[in-house]
Formats: sequence, C-alpha cells, structure tokens
Amino acid sequence: MSENTSINAAGEAVVKAEHEIGSGMSKKEAKRIRMETMSREELAYLRRKSIAEKVWPFFRFVILFGLGFVIMYPLIYMVSCTFRERSDMNDPTVMWIPRHYTLSIIKETIQAMDFWKTLRTTLVLNIGCSLVQVISCAITGYGFARFKFKGKNLLFGIVIMMILVPTQVISLPLYVQFRYFGIRGLFTVNLIDNMLTMYLPALTANGIRSGLMILIFRQFFKGLPRELEDAAYIDGCGPFKTFIRVMVPNAASSFLTVFLFSVVWYWNDYYVSTTFFTNTKTVALMLTNLDSELKIRLFNDPTVQISPREEIVWKEAGCLLSIAPILVMYTFLQKYFTEGIERSGLVA
Amino acid sequence: MAKKRPDPEIEAAKEKAAQMKAEIGTELPPLKAGDTPSEEPVPAAAAPAKEPKHSKLPYEKRKALYGYGFIALWMVGTLLFFLIPLVTSLYYSFCDVQVNPGSLDTKWVGLQKYSDVLTVDPNYTDYLGDMLLETLWKTPLVLIFSLFIAVILNQKFKGRVLARAIFFLPVIIATGPVYRIINGDMSSTGNTGAAQFSTMFSTDLIGELMNFLGIYGLSDNMGTVISTVADNIFGIVWSSGIQILLFLAALQNIPPSAREAVQMEGATAWEYFWKITFPYVSPFILANLIFTVIDSFTSPMNSVMNRILDMKNDWKFGEASAMAWIYFIIVLAAIGLVTAIVNKFIYYEVD
Repeated sequence: MSENTSINAAGEAVVKAEHEIGSGMSKKEAKRIRMETMSREELAYLRRKSIAEKVWPFFRFVILFGLGFVIMYPLIYMVSCTFRERSDMNDPTVMWIPRHYTLSIIKETIQAMDFWKTLRTTLVLNIGCSLVQVISCAITGYGFARFKFKGKNLLFGIVIMMILVPTQVISLPLYVQFRYFGIRGLFTVNLIDNMLTMYLPALTANGIRSGLMILIFRQFFKGLPRELEDAAYIDGCGPFKTFIRVMVPNAASSFLTVFLFSVVWYWNDYYVSTTFFTNTKTVALMLTNLDSELKIRLFNDPTVQISPREEIVWKEAGCLLSIAPILVMYTFLQKYFTEGIERSGLVA
Repeated sequence: MAKKRPDPEIEAAKEKAAQMKAEIGTELPPLKAGDTPSEEPVPAAAAPAKEPKHSKLPYEKRKALYGYGFIALWMVGTLLFFLIPLVTSLYYSFCDVQVNPGSLDTKWVGLQKYSDVLTVDPNYTDYLGDMLLETLWKTPLVLIFSLFIAVILNQKFKGRVLARAIFFLPVIIATGPVYRIINGDMSSTGNTGAAQFSTMFSTDLIGELMNFLGIYGLSDNMGTVISTVADNIFGIVWSSGIQILLFLAALQNIPPSAREAVQMEGATAWEYFWKITFPYVSPFILANLIFTVIDSFTSPMNSVMNRILDMKNDWKFGEASAMAWIYFIIVLAAIGLVTAIVNKFIYYEVD
C-alpha cells in the first residue's frame, strides 16, 4: 500500500514537472536543464549513441548494397544476356545494356530444352515426391519425438548418418539395386529411367535430404506441448488418430515450409537424377546438358562449332528459364521460406 | 467414460498388432528378437473377450509398439535405400569390381584399393588436402559473415523485406546446376569456355568496382589480394543463405527484456553484441558450423567428389568406393572433432 502511494506521488511529481516544462519554458531550455542534470558518462554515452545512429545507416546501406550486388549480379547478367543478340557478346562496348534486343534467344532455348514438356515432367515429379516425402518424414519424425522404444538411439543415429553420408557414396550400389529391383531368384524389374526411383525412396522417408527433414520434424514435434496429445488420449483417440487430428493441424505451417524447401531441393537436384534417369528429363538435367542439346536441336549437327563466348547467351537464357519457376514461387511464398524456419523447429 | 474408452483402443491395438506382426515377420528380421515378448499379449487382447484386456499389456510397451509403427515405413526404406547400399559400397571398396553386361563380378582384394588410392593415384591426396584446407578457412568466414549479416538484417530499416529477400536467394539457387554455371564450373559437360565464366563473374567484378571508384594505380600484389578476396566473397555470400536464416531466427528469440536491461545500463552496441547476442546465438553456431561443414563436404562442386564421379564413370567401382569411404571417414572425424571442441564454448540457457 505504502509503495503504491509513493509511486503515485513520484508519478504526480513527474507529470507536474513535465507540465511546468511544457508551459513555462521553451523546448530548448528544457533540454538544457536535462543535460545539466546528467553526469559526464551519461553525456558521453548519448553523444556516442547519436553519432552511431547517424553514421550506421549509411554504412549499413553500403554493406547491404555491395553484398546484395554480389548476389544479384549473376541474375541481372542472365536477364541482360537472354534478351541480346549473340553478336553483342563479341562487342566490347556491351556490358549490361544490349545493343540489339531480341526474343529469339529465349525462344531457341525453350526449343532446345523442350521447356514446356520438361517443365511439366519436373513439376509432377517434384511436387509428387515432395508431398510424399514430407508426409513420410513427418510420421517418422513424430515417432522419434514422442515414443520410447528399444534401440531408439541407435536408429536415430542412422538418421544422423543419413545426413552425413554423401549421396555419392551410396549412389552406385543404389543404381545396381534399381537396375535389378526385386527379389533375387524370383523376379527382377529394371527400374532405371522409371520415376519410381524417385518416388520409392521419397515414400519411405529416404529421398533427397530426408534425414534433415526427419530431424526438423522431430525437433518440431518435441517442441509442441504434450498436453495436446494427453487430452486426445483421454478422449479415446489412438496414437494414429491423435497424430492426424491433433498434431498435423498444429504443424500446418511447418509442413508448408518443409514442403517448399523440399520442392526446391528436388528442383535443383541433378546428381540423383543423372544417376537414375536416361531418357526422362528434368529441368536441371536439361540445363546441365544444354550445350549438346543446343547443337542437336538447333543446328541439327552435333559437331557444329559455336564460339564459347556466344554460347554464353543460350546458357544464361537456360539458367533464367530454370530458375524462373522457383523464383516466382519464392516471390509469392517468401514469407513461408523465411519466417517458417523459425516455427519449423530447427531453432529448438 | 469407462464404457467409451476400451473400444477404440482395442481396435487400434488389434490393427497395430496385426500390422506390426506383418511388418516384423516379413520385412524387418532384425527387430524380431527384441519384440517377441511384447508380441504375445497383443493377440490375447484381440481375442473375443469383451473385458478391457488391453490393460494386461503395459502402457509403456504399447507405446513402444506404436513408436515402431510410426517409424516402420522409414525403417523399410532405410534398409533398402540406405543401409544395404552403404554396406555394399563398403564391400566394393575391398574388391576388384568388374562390370560385365548383365552382372557385376567382385573379387576380394582386401585393402589394396585403399593403398592404391592413397599412394598410386596422382590426384586424390592432393584434392583431399586442398579440400580440407579450404573447408578449414572457409567455414569460419562463412559463419562470421552470416552472423554479421543476420545482425544487420535483424535491425529495423527501410527496405528490410527486400534486403532479406535478396540475401535468402542463394538458399533456393545455390544447390542447383545454375549455381555451377554462374560459378564458372562446367566440368560435367566438358565445356571449354569455363575460364571465361569464372573471370566474368569474379575478377571482373572487382575490377569494375575499382575503375568505378577511380582507383587504377594499385600494385600487382594488392590486385591479386583483392581479386582473391573477391573470388571468395562470391563463394562465401553464395554459400551462407541457410546460415543467415538460422542466425536470424536465433536473434529473434532474444527476449526484448534483455535489450531493455542493457540499454538501461548504458551498454554500447559492441558490448550488447558480445554480452547478449553472442551467448544467445552460440548454440546455433554449432548447428551452423556442422551444417556448413557438411554442405561443403557434400557439395557436388568439390574436387574430391568430382574425382570420385570420374572414377565411377570409368567403371572403376572399387576405387571409387574406396575413395568415397576414405573421404567419408575423414569428414566424420572432422565433424566429431569440431563438435567436441565447440561444445565446450557454448552457452545453453537453462529453462
């Protein structure tokens, strides 16, 4: 009680003082009085602070602009190359702004990459795999997060191993395995060049970077309060029903984030797909083989010589085409890429 | 309540038991031993008796069964698409592998492939050394840089959204073939113009900037230093997208009360960074460190990986596997060592 009154008294005094300052004196005067009552350290601190506040934004701008330029440079260059004629490549005066604008380069590149068909294949494959993989990884992650069972630590060690072992180590035996898929002696199928080589691992939580995804989901589910599930159990839900009805809705936004990342990883992958695909083409594969495709499809002649400098034009156009869909997605869903990470459990 | 409860639980247990049995019986032999005892009571509960017999199966055990149920899919996949190939690749590394149409013939040769790779192969050890050295100096730079950028991006200023969008761009581009092209590495397609790409994007960049600023008369020595830095700035900026993202998330977890307290005490931004920011983000330094190391070791851009690929394309599976395994063991050792050291300097907030 006494504390309260004293606080009130102090508050009144402040209000009174401010009132006096406001009415009786000019602002300058008030400032002067405040400055006089301060110690030397306080003044020094304020001075330092005000200098820093004025100078820092300038430095910040320079740093961000310079480094942002390093990131944007290749992208701007891509756009610049895509819409110029290839003779401009040999013109030393042309750096950024083309002398002759043209749409023919991008048209030729679309033709060489068989872009629309490739895009469709890639999208179906990516979205399908990502969807299946997110679901399977979420289930696995939940199992690791909330249940105690024998050998759990050992099994989780395997998940960590999945993150650490480079794909290159296992891709070769995997190739052989898919080539003769089935039970030895009974039946074998050749799965090479079949989309199942991507779908099957994704379905069983063993696709591209699935170790990382399991880890993310485990962390995320560990961070959710246990009371959620206990309530469901008491109401008579089994663990699977609880997972679907209670946990999944709570994890919706982190599902989306992980899904988006998964789409990006599948989109960018060319290592796994070169290993398993021969005729199936994804955008990333088309881009890596662009120069040979160019010669075959544009000039009908695999031996034609194009100067490497001129070839850059098509390459850059190819790059632009292959990142365009991802960039569009990124522009619209940027929020989920950047803010989702905080909620997705990597931070726990 | 008492009437309502048993039914769904028994149903679920029945289903689960059947499913588990099927899985354990057919696909997952290693689990059998551990699970036999708990397998017995479940069919008993599934018997026609209407009494809530599930109480016979201890709660803990039932939960364990569900746990296996949740990870069963992953276990099947891991066995097929991870463990078996992993062991096979280890086996190949001890063998002379002959590829014939229709089959792979293996002949056990012991450690010969390993000694061949380490002593006979002209490039492998060099690549390995370069790779390790590069990771050693690049990783700290990436970490410092990404923390620095994250601190800046965490401040309030105009155009912050745009700045963030730009700095996260590498996250979506840097894992793909586009990055290889802009980084001037087209070895996979045997492109002859590779040199031109790289000069265009790094050395030229700094030259332009120098000309722009009106600085011409630099000594050659200085020029090389600057262009090396520029080369690496490109690599560093482009490989720290995820790290910035993680650090930023960590920074946003710092309670505002900490900032207020520090302002009351009159600390400078510098002191604030070392006394508040740094301890709060230190657990993420470890996470980011491991991520960076793995990223640089497993990136398809690195020379060791390319050497392994070349070997594979020459159908020298034995050598390729041996190389991959030597490399992998070194990576594991490096990560283990780093984790052990860094763990000593980390501040964990006790809740």
